[in-house]
Amino acid sequence: MAIHEKTLIDPDRILQHDHLVVDGVDVSGSWNTMISPRTLVDYEPDFEKIIQSYGGGENVHRCWQCGSCTNSCTMYAQNVDFNPRYWIYLIRLGLKAELMKDKDIIWQCVSCNKCTNICPKDVRPEGVMKATAHWLEENGYTPKTLSTHFDEEFTHQCLEFGRIEDTEVMMGFFKRSGQPLVQTWIINFGKNLSKHMPLGQLAKMGLNVVFRPKTKSWGRTGEVLAEYVKTQKEAAHHG
Amino acid sequence: MSAQDTVLVVGAGPAGLSAAATVAAMGKKAVIVEKEDVLGGAPIISGYAKLVPSGEWAKDAIGRMVSRVEGDGNVSIHKSTKVSQLDGEAGNFTATLSNGSKVEAGSIVLATGFTHFDSINKPEWGFGTYEDVLTTSQMEQMVATGKIQCPSDGRVPERVAILLCVGSRDRQIGREWCSKICCTVSANLAMEIKEISPSTDVFIYYMDIRTFGLYEDKFYWKSQEEFKTKFVKARIAEVTKSPDGRLLVKGEDTLVKRPIVIPMDIVVHAIGMDPNALNPEIAKTFGIGLEKHGFIDKAEQYTNSQGTTRKGIYTCGASTGPEDIDTSIAQGQSAGSRAVADLFSAQKVAV
Ligand SMILES: Cc1cc2nc3c(=O)[nH]c(=O)nc-3n(C[C@H](O)[C@H](O)[C@H](O)COP(=O)(O)OP(=O)(O)OC[C@H]3O[C@@H](n4cnc5c(N)ncnc54)[C@H](O)[C@@H]3O)c2cc1C
Ligand code: SF4
Ligand code: SF4
Ligand code: SF4
Repeated sequence: MAIHEKTLIDPDRILQHDHLVVDGVDVSGSWNTMISPRTLVDYEPDFEKIIQSYGGGENVHRCWQCGSCTNSCTMYAQNVDFNPRYWIYLIRLGLKAELMKDKDIIWQCVSCNKCTNICPKDVRPEGVMKATAHWLEENGYTPKTLSTHFDEEFTHQCLEFGRIEDTEVMMGFFKRSGQPLVQTWIINFGKNLSKHMPLGQLAKMGLNVVFRPKTKSWGRTGEVLAEYVKTQKEAAHHG
Repeated sequence: MSAQDTVLVVGAGPAGLSAAATVAAMGKKAVIVEKEDVLGGAPIISGYAKLVPSGEWAKDAIGRMVSRVEGDGNVSIHKSTKVSQLDGEAGNFTATLSNGSKVEAGSIVLATGFTHFDSINKPEWGFGTYEDVLTTSQMEQMVATGKIQCPSDGRVPERVAILLCVGSRDRQIGREWCSKICCTVSANLAMEIKEISPSTDVFIYYMDIRTFGLYEDKFYWKSQEEFKTKFVKARIAEVTKSPDGRLLVKGEDTLVKRPIVIPMDIVVHAIGMDPNALNPEIAKTFGIGLEKHGFIDKAEQYTNSQGTTRKGIYTCGASTGPEDIDTSIAQGQSAGSRAVADLFSAQKVAV
């Protein structure tokens, strides 16, 4: 099939010599442009299963490529490269290298679920986007998202102390995601708090931050839990 | 008339008409019970145009089937009537009809057909909102008038879009079946439109084209090659209206990988075949089972092809799932003769 748009051609497949003379004719620059063929040489049949092992990806095998998801998609309306239908196709055949070309926009899904509501095969494309973004993140292909940083800090504190301390979670989250620890909104929040809260309560909150109370007799529970979470994750992704 | 020489046929579409004619031809009595006041089933009630694959007008083709039973001394007909109660068992049924009369029958053929999908259930495709959005049966009625024009203002459409699989193959609305005939009917409709209105271009939006068996070249290829029907691989997401009054079909052209917003003058829904809306009631009255989609369930496939889950009751045509007319007629003959065979074996036992 003919290629319709130059934007569909990967830049590294455009071959061009700045100076070229063939049989005495100067064909320098765009006169000698060649495009190397984009031949797909194999499938990775297990890739679909991997995506299915992430929450939300379970139904990806049901897709029949009708395009309803893409068409209804909020992000597609902003950027036609955001194409869930196409990515699902790549996932199903295991065309990982092709998928990777879009790795920096897949996470942009806003979870509006329009796709899920229209999909005639109940693929739940929104879930597939989530699963794919997680896979990309876990394998280090994309930087961790803010929500992942938050989840990690939250889980870390649960496992460590058997409870969470709001301020600690926020601080840890800012640290993990490389955000400044002192944010303007926190300063304002603190100012308002001191205006309206009794002094004793404030002092108690402050002490909690410093002394980090643990749930009583938490002991080895956290370690056991952490181990359990780890094996469950491994089982899901490699089973 | 005794139970031993009578078959009760419920429904007078192509399948029921064929079953009744078969019973009569074998020298037995057929009693037809039809809920509408006309015979002929969907092709007559909904006013189909030229039929697939014969190319004959529905009113002529099915009309012949109707007059065949109307003129037969072995067939009696109750119109605008339903069976309200069934007593007895195989070999000796007694049916009480809604008009008060009773019918004794040795066996029964249920030819109660299907219900057209109601496009209102897919509001995003504009039916009921825009006058120029029609169903295939409405478009067939327009073809039958011999004039192609937009219902809104009577102009000749430059473009007609036919959307396939409306009300079929869609988990969102619990319809997990292919309606089998709508691809072929749509390819045929596109040719009929072009024939009447050569300046009109027809676009068919598809996910798959299922013009099975010999319908491939006769309808799909012919429509594409000779009648210039454009086939576009896209499932339309939405039909809206542009300020100039034309319709806009929006979707993704999956081959080009680009969004489409294309102006159209008429949009046609290729509506699917639902289970007869009365099936729960029919199942209760006749004591038969329904399969998981809501169509009438069948007995063992290979040795009792037209059987229902109840002994002595047979079924045929679109009551058991989306079916075309030719197959419905063949099944009607099959069910009719199987029902007559029951009468003979009941007689043998009686002697
Ligand atoms: C838009 C469209 C176009 C089509 N065009 C074609 C075509 O060109 N060629 C083709 O081969 N097929 C076509 N079909 C399919 C065709 O309509 C069916 O194959 C055919 O009508 C099936 O016949 P039937 O007798 O089984 O059912 P039906 O035609 O549905 O007849 C059933 C009859 O039973 C009656 N009935 C229902 N319930 C009861 C009850 N409880 N008591 C008494 N009576 C009852 C109904 O009133 C009806 O008269 C088309 C379908 C659609 C939707
Ligand atoms: S949930 Fe994501 S993929 Fe689905 S329509 Fe919304 S933005 Fe698009
Ligand atoms: S709407 Fe569903 S079936 Fe259609 S392309 Fe999207 S995921 Fe696949
Ligand atoms: S016959 Fe064609 S239009 Fe009808 S449901 Fe099947 S695929 Fe869709």
